[in-house]
Amino acid sequence: MSEAGADREKLDQTPNQAADQAADQSSGGDLQSLASSITAMASPFRNYLNDLHEKYRSVDEGTVADYIPELAEANPGWFGICVVTTDGQLFDVGDCDQLFTIQSMSKALTYGMALEDHGREYVNSKVSNEPTGEAFNSIVLDEETNRPYNPMVNAGAIATTDLIKGKDGTARLKRMLSMFERYTGRSHDICMPVFLSEKSSGFRNRAIAYLMLNFGMVSDRIDETLDLYFQQCSILVNAKDIAMISATLANGGVNPATQVRALDEHYVQDVISVMLSCGMYDASGDWAYRVGIPAKSGVGGGILATVPGKLGIGTFSPPLDVKGNSVRGIKVCEDLSKDFGLHLFNVASPEHNLQDWLSGNTDIDHW
Amino acid sequence: MPKVISIHSYRGGTGKSNFTANIAATIALQGKRVGVVDTDVPSPGIHNLFCLEPEQTTHTLNSYLWGEISIEEAAYDVSRNIGLSDDAGGRLYLVPSSVKADSIARILRDGYDVRLMNDGFRKLVKSLQLDYLFIDTHPGLSKETFLSIAISHVLILILRPDKQDYQGTAVTMDVAKQLKVRKLLLAINKVYGQLNPDALKQKVEETYGEKVAGVFPLSEEVVQLASEGVFCVRYPEHPISQTFRQVAAQIDQG
Ligand SMILES: Nc1ncnc2c1ncn2[C@@H]1O[C@H](COP(=O)(O)OP(=O)(O)O)[C@@H](O)[C@H]1O
Ligand SMILES: [Mg+2]
Repeated sequence: MSEAGADREKLDQTPNQAADQAADQSSGGDLQSLASSITAMASPFRNYLNDLHEKYRSVDEGTVADYIPELAEANPGWFGICVVTTDGQLFDVGDCDQLFTIQSMSKALTYGMALEDHGREYVNSKVSNEPTGEAFNSIVLDEETNRPYNPMVNAGAIATTDLIKGKDGTARLKRMLSMFERYTGRSHDICMPVFLSEKSSGFRNRAIAYLMLNFGMVSDRIDETLDLYFQQCSILVNAKDIAMISATLANGGVNPATQVRALDEHYVQDVISVMLSCGMYDASGDWAYRVGIPAKSGVGGGILATVPGKLGIGTFSPPLDVKGNSVRGIKVCEDLSKDFGLHLFNVASPEHNLQDWLSGNTDIDHW
Repeated sequence: MPKVISIHSYRGGTGKSNFTANIAATIALQGKRVGVVDTDVPSPGIHNLFCLEPEQTTHTLNSYLWGEISIEEAAYDVSRNIGLSDDAGGRLYLVPSSVKADSIARILRDGYDVRLMNDGFRKLVKSLQLDYLFIDTHPGLSKETFLSIAISHVLILILRPDKQDYQGTAVTMDVAKQLKVRKLLLAINKVYGQLNPDALKQKVEETYGEKVAGVFPLSEEVVQLASEGVFCVRYPEHPISQTFRQVAAQIDQG
């Protein structure tokens, strides 16, 4: 055999065998999971969110809530957008690790827990499901039944919190915190300064509670319940937590990352439907019409928005509009709804196909 | 639509930087707007081929990753260094990595958010209106490599006729498939004289089931140039330069 022939021979063996050996050693799970997290980083959908962040970063409308000094300290420039899909893919851009207090977004989850504790009929007898045109902190009850209008206004939320079971304040708080943990997949702290501030200045909420006690709509453990209410509002979360909560609701009550059930499947519809009708304070009707994504906002600057069966959105940006909803968060939800056809009742084909943009396997010109 | 092309190899010294510089220059000389990013943060080198001296590069990829500057500020126009006149349509920009030991140490110690790479590349393509963006990489598999593979329209894997390279290339191709790479090309470099290039090409194509875009000889002239210029620019009529033009054509096919 000539020298070149011998070399040819060697070549016949080497690349084949070497490649086979390597292929044998390739493992499935770890590579797949790393690959999928990288694909999410590079997906067109993340690029879309990036552009959205860029587009609205410079918006300087709205004012940071300042009814207590702790909230007024928030940086108006903070801006995070996070989306979690029902199959657990997470996309985040901007300030998604910045902690803030959950505020009114907690009301949706507490409502779910009250339903689990007492069933629909009993809870309905204590809190109605009618949107009000009144402000979130108004002191009004339904004149015929004396029930607060809905679980998303302060009166209704206090009545809902009253329903949380437990032998004392600590036990009730523990139950509540572990519920939040099931939704987000991590444990949460309470912001003490915010809690104490709310507690010491919450005369209006105290008045609402006593008015409801007068009508027998809440039990007489008023101080304990109000503490619990202020504590639930002072839970520290970030935009990722909010998106994970939204995605859990979108996923039928099961956290899509941990697969832990956070809410009884029977009550998922209750929570999501009051979010749609009442979640954005007295802007709810217009929101349902224009954006069509069930959502709940908080004065800390968060918006939790749930697209059933598809994804959860969590946005964070402290400046609020006059109705108390985050200005940038609203814009983000509006764009997502329009561009991907996420309005609950949309049937027209959207500009972007969500699945294509999430998986990135079509040749989308996102460059 | 702009194209992003990653040049990668499993091992170092394969010829990635040399290949990247040559293919980028070839395409820029054809009148395109081309960007090159040196993502080989631990061992940068491609700036030498474009004769960009470290003293001139105060802004680097590192400073962008630390949030100190926007990525465009780290993009140096090296068109003249490859003989492109200012009124030529083609342009070549390089985003270098820092060669300062301190900067390298800092990035290795503290790491960085790899997503910034993705965001930066997009920004660069948009603001410099690039037709092509080439990503020169650090050898081996890392998060950065994964990301550059995932975002690329074309992945070019460089290998030498060597058992370690064969194995490594197979591993990298596994990863590339997981990352749903859209187009993959192989280039064989440093092929020594005794090997028959056509037979080698055929064998490698059969083994991996992917196209070999070019076979490059182990060349004394490349060694002599010693990374002080781009081979294709210096010897445009050399067979190696012709092979680079063939590779360039294949990037656009399909
Ligand atoms: N075809 C070739 N023939 C001879 N030397 C080469 C060839 N390709 C690259 N080299 C040399 O090999 C060395 C490593 O190349 P380089 O491009 O820096 O590799 P990498 O970027 O993969 O580490 C350099 O000195 C380069 O000039
Ligand atoms: Mg190199």
